[in-house]
Amino acid sequence: MKKTSIIIGMAMVLLLPMVLSSQTKTTIKGKELFGDISARHIGPALMSGRINDMEIHPTNNRIIYAGTAGGGVWKSNNAGTTFNSIFDDYCQSIGAVALDPNNPDNVIYVGTGETWPRNSVSIGDGLYKSVDGGSNWIKLGFEKSERIANIIVNPKNSNEVYVGVLGALWGDSDVRGVYKSNDAGATWEKLLYIDQKTGCADLAMDPNDPNILYASMWEFRRTGWSFESGGNSSALYKSTDGGGTWNKIHNGFPEGKLGRLAIAVAPSNSEVLYTVIEAEKDEKKGLYRSNDAGNSWEQLNNDFGITVRPFYFSRIVVDPRDENVVVKGGLSGSISRDGGKTFKNLGNMHSDIHDIVFSIKDSDVMYVGTDGGVYRSWNGGTTMEIVEDLPLSQFYHVSVDDATPYNVYGGLQDNGSWYGPSSSIGGIEARDWNSVGAGDGFRVLKHPTKNIIYSEMQGATNVWRYDVDKNLTKTIEPLVTKETGKLRFNWNPPMALSSAQPNRFYMGSQFVHKSEDMGDTWEIISPDLTTNDPAKQEQENSGGLSKDNSGAENHTTIFTIAESTLDENVIWVGTDDGNVQVTQDGGKSWTNTIDNIVGLPKNTWCYHIEASTFDKGTAYAVFDGHTMNDMNPYAYKTTDFGKTWKNIISDNVVGITRNIQEDYVNPDLLFLGTEFGLYITMDGGDSWHKFTNNMPSVAVHFIDLQKATNDLVMGTHGRGIIIIDDISPLREINETVLSKNVHFFSNKPTVINEESGFSGSFGKETQFVGANKTKNLQLKYYLKKRHTFGKMRMVIQDMDGNYVNEIGPGKSKGINIVNWNYTRKQPKIAKGKTFSFGGFTSPQVPEGTYKVILTKGKETYEHTFDLVYDEDSPLTATDRTLKNETTMQLYDMTQELAYLVYELDEMILKAESNKNAKTISKLNALKETLVITTGDNYAGSAEPQLREKMADLYSKLATSYDKPSKTELESLYVILKRFEDAKTNFSKLKKKFKPSEELTIKTYEEFLGS
Amino acid sequence: MKSLKLCVAVLMLAFVLPTQAQSADDILENYFENIGGLEKLKAIKGMKMIAKVNQQGLEIPLEIIQLSDGRQMTLINFQGKEIKQGVFDGETLWSHNFMTMKAEKSDAEATSNFKLNANDFPDSFIDYKEKGYVVELLGTETIDGAETYKIKLIKEPVMVDGEEEDDISFYFFDTENFVPIAIQTEVKSGQAKGTIQEVTLSDYQEVDGLYFPFSMTQGVKGQPGGSPITIESIELNPDIDESAFAFPDEMEGEKE
Repeated sequence: MKKTSIIIGMAMVLLLPMVLSSQTKTTIKGKELFGDISARHIGPALMSGRINDMEIHPTNNRIIYAGTAGGGVWKSNNAGTTFNSIFDDYCQSIGAVALDPNNPDNVIYVGTGETWPRNSVSIGDGLYKSVDGGSNWIKLGFEKSERIANIIVNPKNSNEVYVGVLGALWGDSDVRGVYKSNDAGATWEKLLYIDQKTGCADLAMDPNDPNILYASMWEFRRTGWSFESGGNSSALYKSTDGGGTWNKIHNGFPEGKLGRLAIAVAPSNSEVLYTVIEAEKDEKKGLYRSNDAGNSWEQLNNDFGITVRPFYFSRIVVDPRDENVVVKGGLSGSISRDGGKTFKNLGNMHSDIHDIVFSIKDSDVMYVGTDGGVYRSWNGGTTMEIVEDLPLSQFYHVSVDDATPYNVYGGLQDNGSWYGPSSSIGGIEARDWNSVGAGDGFRVLKHPTKNIIYSEMQGATNVWRYDVDKNLTKTIEPLVTKETGKLRFNWNPPMALSSAQPNRFYMGSQFVHKSEDMGDTWEIISPDLTTNDPAKQEQENSGGLSKDNSGAENHTTIFTIAESTLDENVIWVGTDDGNVQVTQDGGKSWTNTIDNIVGLPKNTWCYHIEASTFDKGTAYAVFDGHTMNDMNPYAYKTTDFGKTWKNIISDNVVGITRNIQEDYVNPDLLFLGTEFGLYITMDGGDSWHKFTNNMPSVAVHFIDLQKATNDLVMGTHGRGIIIIDDISPLREINETVLSKNVHFFSNKPTVINEESGFSGSFGKETQFVGANKTKNLQLKYYLKKRHTFGKMRMVIQDMDGNYVNEIGPGKSKGINIVNWNYTRKQPKIAKGKTFSFGGFTSPQVPEGTYKVILTKGKETYEHTFDLVYDEDSPLTATDRTLKNETTMQLYDMTQELAYLVYELDEMILKAESNKNAKTISKLNALKETLVITTGDNYAGSAEPQLREKMADLYSKLATSYDKPSKTELESLYVILKRFEDAKTNFSKLKKKFKPSEELTIKTYEEFLGS
Repeated sequence: MKSLKLCVAVLMLAFVLPTQAQSADDILENYFENIGGLEKLKAIKGMKMIAKVNQQGLEIPLEIIQLSDGRQMTLINFQGKEIKQGVFDGETLWSHNFMTMKAEKSDAEATSNFKLNANDFPDSFIDYKEKGYVVELLGTETIDGAETYKIKLIKEPVMVDGEEEDDISFYFFDTENFVPIAIQTEVKSGQAKGTIQEVTLSDYQEVDGLYFPFSMTQGVKGQPGGSPITIESIELNPDIDESAFAFPDEMEGEKE
């Protein structure tokens, strides 16, 4: 047996700092630059996403982990009611999560790389460990393992850890099999290895004897055009000496080649084992049981639910309290209560069940991981309810429209197509999302001018044109005609629009199809643009032991189409078998430019072409070689219609590349989506910076830039839609800016938001709610150094230098963003027994030019900005003047009343010390008409007095979009009158007030400042 | 008062010394020295901070009092009314209810957890070994664009919904000047349980020879927002009316 030891150590990581090639340019790390520019997650979570592995805490039934296919690791502290992400900074594709049973609160192992290898699976990058409950992680090696199926810690010895590595899906690899560590993960020994094609698909330990192990080995391979499960190397092994020696346990197994096998040991009886076998003959497939710890096996069941798609579903879970209750993952999931003889489906939930766990306390409580998130059951799997706060949606594509707020469109793995708003009252909730397609969803595009949406499902078996206003849907996909012959559409078929012709719509098979009437009539405008390699067109034979021709392996197809926004005759096309074609005459002639790309391996999948908006001969092409076992990033730029291409990837970019987005203003500002997150360059690709502010290391499949808002919108494959609001400061980053101590970025005029509406918050306690974009004014500035010592203040003034408000500045090195909701401080309110809630209102300032004064130590920096009213506001300039003046009149009155009551209180205090009962009584009598002097702030509140009436009217006017109404002005008159009377009474009392000594009263200004 | 500039220069000088072989204790030693000295810090008997929070136009004045025996309180001034929050008299943790403005005790678990912090004034890291705390240097991390040492602090275990849990926080000490610029802790209970809360610290200024952060911003790690608490002044060893910490009887609420 081959021995390998993988040395790890955080020291290694620390001793290998990134070597940046610094010429004369300022080198700045992304983390030192991006500062407060932060990603915003809007979900959706309503359909959630694929789960790979569920894990429970062995002693605390409230703690549940979900290892997801593309969205990282999530932990629940409340028995699965809600979850938190705990693995954002690392690879988000998870194979296995395991706790050390001896220290389950602290020690967590995460094996990356999902293990149900469908066509669209992501890849892992090794094994991780936390010793503090998930706060910090170190990598334990296995960088090339790609997929880790199981991790088991010896329940009697924390130092003994076993790892089952399934390994590479798309090519040969010797990082496969069963590994063991005797030092808690520091070093590893390979215990079971078969060959470069066969990995460990499942690993189990006898709960009563940690030296007894079972390992299922699986021979499997995927290419871009086929899948093969099974071979002579697949087998089930047992070891009784802690992995030292292994023997096949096939007594009772079917003859011939085997495919994927699952293995489970009943926790309540170690003699009882279950396996699911993928065999050559259909009648021999299914569930097998052993009652003698694997010495012999008996076939019990080969129903559809047990044998369906073994590569995707092969998990068996046995009830920890009853060896005869067994659950099998599958299309619907199956449960047997008679030891595996018969099964029924689990309760209704999203299909494609990958893993199931039972609560440690009660077998009625189950947690199930599906292609659509995590479900809970409280009645033994009969009824399922979805966890509503796991935003794991797996987008293949994203696009935006030009509405305000703009909408986001995209299609999801196994979860249809959707659109939803980028902002919504109270946050973006499940109910804000609209379904616009069935099946697997991919590209979704909104018609440029009409309220019509195009969407599709796998292989263009349906392409829908949905008239949103009329709620009418028709299918418009190009069909086979006598001219076309057989059409080959990718699983994820390309669609494209034209900026020149709103009704134009493109689709790609092996040909480019063009319609000028929104898909009613199609014309083919190209020859076959692919390699048309017949060896890659045998999908009917795909699957290996279990035929699997879902369309997912369709190959030699067009994958990306882009019409130039500068010239409608320039169209770029990229194919999944590695061609980059361009036409400059609207399709009459095409040139394959792939041979001009130096350094790109032949037949590498062209994942995206971005036509530049600055020059029609300029384009960017991104390639993904992972289906050829090539995990390198590839992005190229041409400026001459593809005659030459320049590599624009820098050494620090990690992960296969999926998409690139060019900025609309600064051609050197580019955004790159990779399997492990987002990279940004501000120098045309010479240097890339990973963006990590609230941005997980998630696969970014598609990027769009919304023109009006400069928001970068990402369709991620596992964390839903993630938006970076307003990337415009990045356009200004250059050497001059980076050398300044403080640099304010320019502000577009900010519209004062006067919108208001209602949003019931029902259900939000346990639902994911996407964050909204702020409507505040944002002051953005660059700091060369983090401000730590000395005072730093930020004051807003009008252009005459009058104080308006003070706000808390950001102190980070890099870009700071400070929000101001364009209000003044709330008015000073008279002191009463209770609060005057109207008095908590801060009034908005009028539109105009303002300046911000940033004081940092002795230095002062100034920046001006404009606030403007919404053009749609119904108010005239005169209305505005009336509104502002009346509001501020009440604001001032409120403060004057506060001062009057202050004086009155001082007089009462003095009178009390003089024991002047008559004066006390007179003063109190006045006070009782001015402020509330009894009751509380809730149900015990007293009759409102002048203070409350004044403040409520003030608040009513200050928070209204409208000018004061006639009724409000009449009400103001009553309050004014009452205030005048109060002032008269007060001055009478003041004249009569004769204390033994002078009162020391603050001036009005002192009082306001206090 | 010493010139701040000079002090920063001295700190910069200290930074020129080798930094790669830092241990957690070295960092803490540098920290205490740079903020004015451990002995001086240990001699403080109490602090009174006058502060304000500006939550988008709503400015809230605060007064925070902390004493070396663990007693503390926060006074919030709303419309001239004083509302006390987080008052701890050594035994009882209480706050005014915002609706009735009457004093109410915190639940027993919160109180017993709070009591464990009585030995943390003015800084948890003082004599941490004697207190049985564990401190560990985890490496460096970029916080607010600045390079920091990440130090894990484990204090006395706390009770969370009936279960005992470690009390862990992560401090980020600026590698240039060794003062903490951020603290992260996992929220242990309530709706936000499981999220990471982050407090960033800045505007360190001198008070009687000791440096304190005059600006603190609390938020959720990685997410924008959070209004800073701006400290106007810090008074060391203030005169405090002892009775102010006592849990008032029912009638006192009516007397105000």
